[in-house]
Amino acid sequence: MIQFFNMLLIGIGAGSIYALMAIAMVLVWRSTRVINFAQAGMALLSTYIGFELVQKTGNFWIALPLAMVLGALFSALVEILLIRTLIKHSTSGPVAGIVPIIATLGLLGLIRACIGMIWGNQDIQIQPPLSKVGFKIGEETIALSPMNLLVLLAVLGMVVILGFIFQKTSLGLSLRASAYSPEIAQLAGIRVGAIRTIGWAIAGAAGAAAGLLQTVNGTGAVSPDSLEFSLLLTFGFIAAVIGGLESLPGAVLGAVVLGLVLAVVQIYISGTLVFIVAFALLLLVLLVRPQGFIGVKAGRRA
Amino acid sequence: MLKKHPLVGFALFGVVLFLLSNRVDELRVFQGATVAIYVIAIASIILLTGYSGQVSLGHGALLAIGGYAAALARIHWGAPVWLTFCIAVLAAALGGYLLGLAAARLSGPYLAGTTLALAIGLPSIANQFPLFGGEQGLLYDIGMPPASLGEDFTQYKWYFWISSLAALISIYWLRNVMNSRYGRNWKAVRGNDVAAELAGINVGRNKVLAFTVSAGLAGLAGALLAMTISTVSPGAFPLALSFSLATGAVLSGVTTLGGVMIGAVTLVAIPEIVDTVVHRFETSENIANNLPGLLVSTLLILTVLFVPNGPVEQMRARHEKRAKR
Repeated sequence: MIQFFNMLLIGIGAGSIYALMAIAMVLVWRSTRVINFAQAGMALLSTYIGFELVQKTGNFWIALPLAMVLGALFSALVEILLIRTLIKHSTSGPVAGIVPIIATLGLLGLIRACIGMIWGNQDIQIQPPLSKVGFKIGEETIALSPMNLLVLLAVLGMVVILGFIFQKTSLGLSLRASAYSPEIAQLAGIRVGAIRTIGWAIAGAAGAAAGLLQTVNGTGAVSPDSLEFSLLLTFGFIAAVIGGLESLPGAVLGAVVLGLVLAVVQIYISGTLVFIVAFALLLLVLLVRPQGFIGVKAGRRA
Repeated sequence: MLKKHPLVGFALFGVVLFLLSNRVDELRVFQGATVAIYVIAIASIILLTGYSGQVSLGHGALLAIGGYAAALARIHWGAPVWLTFCIAVLAAALGGYLLGLAAARLSGPYLAGTTLALAIGLPSIANQFPLFGGEQGLLYDIGMPPASLGEDFTQYKWYFWISSLAALISIYWLRNVMNSRYGRNWKAVRGNDVAAELAGINVGRNKVLAFTVSAGLAGLAGALLAMTISTVSPGAFPLALSFSLATGAVLSGVTTLGGVMIGAVTLVAIPEIVDTVVHRFETSENIANNLPGLLVSTLLILTVLFVPNGPVEQMRARHEKRAKR
């Protein structure tokens, strides 16, 4: 019983961080129709910046929002410098579809190389701001520490804020309109270019939060070659795709489902199999329900 | 004459390579073998991307299937070397067929992400089941070069001969496939899949076929790669390999086979160039370790921005424009 309960906690905890990555993927996809394979690289960069800020300020809670702001700025810069150039140069023909994929892949490599040059390829350590010893219910220690709880609450808070922005503000309306149909949005007086940049910026902030929280929630160690980031890269993508790639609630749902499935595998079968199980889950969803959990068929045409 | 009889061209190129291999030193011979292997692997990506409009970021996984299949056949059945290569091709092609069944229904970024997830996931299988030898991997020993080649015939030269021959045969074969019915079907699907369907081409089946053939070639490259390092292990097929191969394909130009050498040579030359630079300027270790990645990534972004079709296609287009004028 307690094992099952712990499994749920671990699954949801891991899923909440994938959710941030998945949200970042969805935001970028909706604003520019690009799957940003550099998302994990950008999150990694923000994590390193967060690490520097923790060193300078000595306080994780000041470093996190600052890193998110810088992550957003960097992401906006990428959109303006790289993605806009890409769209301007866009060619028709067989390679048109793969150009953004390759470009973001190149960016991923570039970011990793730059991080390695500045900080080296060894692990850096970020101290978790809260205790990582699990709460106790009676005699049993459960798989939920103050740190885990805080991560959960932080992610939940961000999802709620994002949901509010998207549903209740005029900025959210513009974001949704330009995702739905750029031309019509433009005719309605929305500055689609600026809105796209904002979509990327929000994604950058979400990615930065995911990177930092994942790091302090896990071992606290991070390096350009670390497993954590191939994890964020693939699981964010998988969560976004099985959630439908178009919708934010879908991304969160996909991430939690992924987190739970992987927790089951990790606890009852073997920890080394998580990647291949995640792949199998992705393949299964794409074959059985290609529009994702939440999503309409027409939206899948890339 | 070469235009009319490509086989003569390929044979001549083979002879040149053979003569060269006797002239240069060991390191260059080894690098030559690596170039030949990359040529096969990159050609397999070009086949997939350029002729069927799909992109795979996980070709390292297919190389791994080939490498492991060859090693297992060698260890458990004691199969002769040429047979292990055939088994590698078949095993990877089977894997590619299964992946292709799913891939035919996926477009652009979905396929890229799915293959990426495969490349990250597959090594974990090797760690899970003892059959694959865990982190250490399996031994894959093709034995000494035949004694008839002489006393001072080195192991590396043997590798180089095998890889180059495999590469020449693969490219020649692929070139013919491209000019066959299948190649034309693939080009039609790439150009406009709706129109292709209306013309009576089974789009789904052709995509699966392209994926299968591409995977088979990748399997051959994987077995050859395993041969040059004598082992197969999860570490020999990292994600970085998949990314390098995709990079090589883009640098070569994904629409034609003509530039396939460009990508392969670049991938092998960059570490070499970096080495020289690092020795000249005595840079710090961090910079030395990451300079190759920086160069490759920058090159990749610049290529995709300015010559997305690759240098060969770009030159051909310019040539045609001038000819028209």
